[in-house]
Amino acid sequence: MTVAIRATDLVKSYTPGSRALDGVSLEVASGEVLVVMGPSGSGKSTLIRTFNGLEKLDGGELDVLGVRLDAAHEERPVCEIRRRVGMVFQQFNLFPHLSILDNITLAPVKVQKRPKVQAEQRAIELLDQMGIREQAHKFPAQLSGGQQQRVAIARALALDPEVMLFDEPTSALDPERVKEVLDAMRQLARDGMTMVVVTHELGFAREVADRVMFMDQGQVVETSDPASFFTNAREERSRRFLSQMV
Amino acid sequence: MNRWLNRSVTLVLTALIGWGVWSVLHWLLLAADWQVVVSNLPLYVVGSYPVDQRWRPLLWMIALVVLIGFTLLGPRRGPLQRWLPLIWLAMAPLGLWLVAGGMMLEPVSTRDWGGFTLTLLLTFGSGLLALPIGVLLALGRRSRLPVLRLSSTAYIELMRAVPLIAVLFFGQLLIPLFLPPGLEINRVLRAVLAFAFFAAAYIAEDVRGGLQAIPPTQREAAAVLGLSEWQSLQLVVLPQALRIALPSLTNQAVGLLQNTSLMAILGLVELLGISRSLLANPVFIGRFLEVYLWLAAVYWLACTAMALLARHLELRLDPLRSDR
Amino acid sequence: MRRRSLLLQVGVSVLLLAFLALLVNNLAVNLLRTGLGLDFGWLGRPSGFALAESALPYTPSDNYLWALTIGWLNSLKVIAAGLVLATLLGVAAGAARSSSNRLLRSLAGGYVAVIRQVPLLLQLLFWYFVAFLGLPETPIGDLIQLSNQGISLLGMPLSVEFCAVLTGLTVFTGASIAEIVRGGVNAVPRGQWEAFRSLGLSEGLGFRRIVLPQALPAILPALTSQYLNLAKNSTLAIAVGYADLYAVSDTTITQTGRAIEGFLLLLISFLLLNLLISGGMAGINATVLGRMRRSR
Ligand SMILES: Nc1ncnc2c1ncn2[C@@H]1O[C@H](COP(=O)(O)OP(=O)(O)OP(=O)(O)O)[C@@H](O)[C@H]1O
Ligand SMILES: [Mg+2]
Repeated sequence: MTVAIRATDLVKSYTPGSRALDGVSLEVASGEVLVVMGPSGSGKSTLIRTFNGLEKLDGGELDVLGVRLDAAHEERPVCEIRRRVGMVFQQFNLFPHLSILDNITLAPVKVQKRPKVQAEQRAIELLDQMGIREQAHKFPAQLSGGQQQRVAIARALALDPEVMLFDEPTSALDPERVKEVLDAMRQLARDGMTMVVVTHELGFAREVADRVMFMDQGQVVETSDPASFFTNAREERSRRFLSQMV
Repeated sequence: MNRWLNRSVTLVLTALIGWGVWSVLHWLLLAADWQVVVSNLPLYVVGSYPVDQRWRPLLWMIALVVLIGFTLLGPRRGPLQRWLPLIWLAMAPLGLWLVAGGMMLEPVSTRDWGGFTLTLLLTFGSGLLALPIGVLLALGRRSRLPVLRLSSTAYIELMRAVPLIAVLFFGQLLIPLFLPPGLEINRVLRAVLAFAFFAAAYIAEDVRGGLQAIPPTQREAAAVLGLSEWQSLQLVVLPQALRIALPSLTNQAVGLLQNTSLMAILGLVELLGISRSLLANPVFIGRFLEVYLWLAAVYWLACTAMALLARHLELRLDPLRSDR
Repeated sequence: MRRRSLLLQVGVSVLLLAFLALLVNNLAVNLLRTGLGLDFGWLGRPSGFALAESALPYTPSDNYLWALTIGWLNSLKVIAAGLVLATLLGVAAGAARSSSNRLLRSLAGGYVAVIRQVPLLLQLLFWYFVAFLGLPETPIGDLIQLSNQGISLLGMPLSVEFCAVLTGLTVFTGASIAEIVRGGVNAVPRGQWEAFRSLGLSEGLGFRRIVLPQALPAILPALTSQYLNLAKNSTLAIAVGYADLYAVSDTTITQTGRAIEGFLLLLISFLLLNLLISGGMAGINATVLGRMRRSR
């Protein structure tokens, strides 16, 4: 089994004296789905944003798909990682001035230099897969939140990434829209995508995750398989968090 | 509002407006003499352009009017619509070629350029030049490199501190001093350059406002897709920023058109300049009001057309209303 | 990354410096060629030209520096008066645009729509040649005596040129201020209007005491830039022969040929003027916002 992401002793501090990440180590095998949970401000977003260089490290070492990143890294490895790792944000972050199709084909055409026609074909396929093919020629503002988030997933997938990062992809959605996005992610996991998912969706974690990691105050509290995490978590802090979730 | 107050305001205003209308009618019917406008129409339009060549500026202006009509009233879809922005951009070089001559056309010296033609050329030319300079200045002012940031900021702030008439005046005097000896540029080109340098500082601030309105998450989303900083700027950030800045850029364009009239003080015979020389003619002595009203109507129409066009563009660019 | 940005930084600096050096070099060559160097000694020489109006004693035998100072004072005079009048007119027109009287509303709207789409210079020429020079030669009026020789306001004499520039600047800037006021007023929630009406306050009182104070924080910054515009626009006074700073500079430069020095002086004077205006506005801003905070 190959390792997709290996993190060793990651440290990140935005303001001197406080640490958003305080010595985080973990491994994600390729094909694995890791769900990250934890209270607000525990460093979940910070962690997965270091995986593709959106946040610079202050200490420790990262190995993403064989590319090394540390506190002193240069720009070049980040570019390579970003080409191979997709990311989906809580707020979708679609480009409002581009149609859905252009949102999806922008990077394949401009970064990977694929022919426009081929990129559009692939985009339509992906939209089909997400169940929103008929939206291709609309603009982001004309879509519901759930539809926008599925476009965002399609946009990330269009680059054929080897790893997908999700930062609370359903938190900004109406409850009745959550399912359509989770279904798309479930399908992605079934197809064998390596995924790191920050989410508070217990059902999704229980059913799809291979492992659940619980964080608090910039540290990993525990990592276990979902069944044991949800029935009898080892740590007091995890149990308290779970009891508040229900 | 208090009903009595409301009524008396209406009454007073009606009386005032009535008096105004009456005196205007009185003047129009009894005192006004439109000879100064009617008999000099060609001068207002093309200045002292050679008579046998007048079709050139006229052709350009007719093309402009047709283009305005097509943009505002034409079909919303169609093959031509896609090329519309490019056609608009092409109007400046086209006008320059038609008016200046060269390349198959007989050259006409800038001394003979005048009237509304010159007003339009000054506006188009300097606007087209100022936009890219302004965008670069705005980017410079937000740059991480201190040299760029400081020099852009200094340029913008100094330029915005001085009055336009001074920039134009000193542009005429000083631009030649900064050029290599032997290289000379004519008065019209100097004016266009000075206008462009001036307008660029204001455009830069409008564009900077647009840039500031783009949330940083847009850059992040672009970065995550592997777009380089330059690509993210060009494909994601700038298109949105310019769209946000469009209303204020329109105001700048309207201002530019109005401000070309300042060249009259410096001796160019654009629309206002030609009128001043007409009013100096003893035949038309004292016909100020007729000429000024006529000019006001022309400027008002041109500025309003410009504002309408921009409003139209804004609606077309709004992703919510557009349906391609 | 850091190395690259350092390199970029150095590269950009070198390019900029090279460009500036080229300009300065051309300038030096041209100045040498024409036999002019940077020199301010001429400021002490007598100007030899008369000024139509001056706030302090001035004769053609006074030096250029004094002439420029007189010009600066003349500018200050028309700008200060313009600021006050344009604000009054603008606020009134802006308020009129949200009035419930339809006639008043459309009149104010028409004023803004016409004035803003016609060049200021043309308007100035209108006020001077048509409105003020069109007055009869013998004074009419009592408290305000009007004639094409000058205006006398309560015994205070004002030149026709001054009045034309002042009127033009006021009417032009007033239209822009009206737009700003309307924008600020529209941003105040409609509920506030209903609230003061339901309390029985009159329209005017409610506008002044309830709506305007809430709109001020949005209005003031935009107002500052309009004031700066007015100051810059006052230089168009040269078109009607009012002896403002720019007109005096223009004459000075034409006489002495000292374009670069003249430009530097003008630049400094305007920086000073702008500083005065934005400083004053910052003070007003702070007081207004401070008072609003305290009254909460
Ligand atoms: N850009 C930033 N500047 C300063 N501090 C930050 C920044 N981003 C995050 N932090 C701080 O770092 C810590 C971790 O934040 P992070 O966003 O990673 O938490 P999170 O677990 O994702 O929380 P949430 O569930 O609310 O999204 C918090 O204390 C936060 O205040
Ligand atoms: Mg988060």
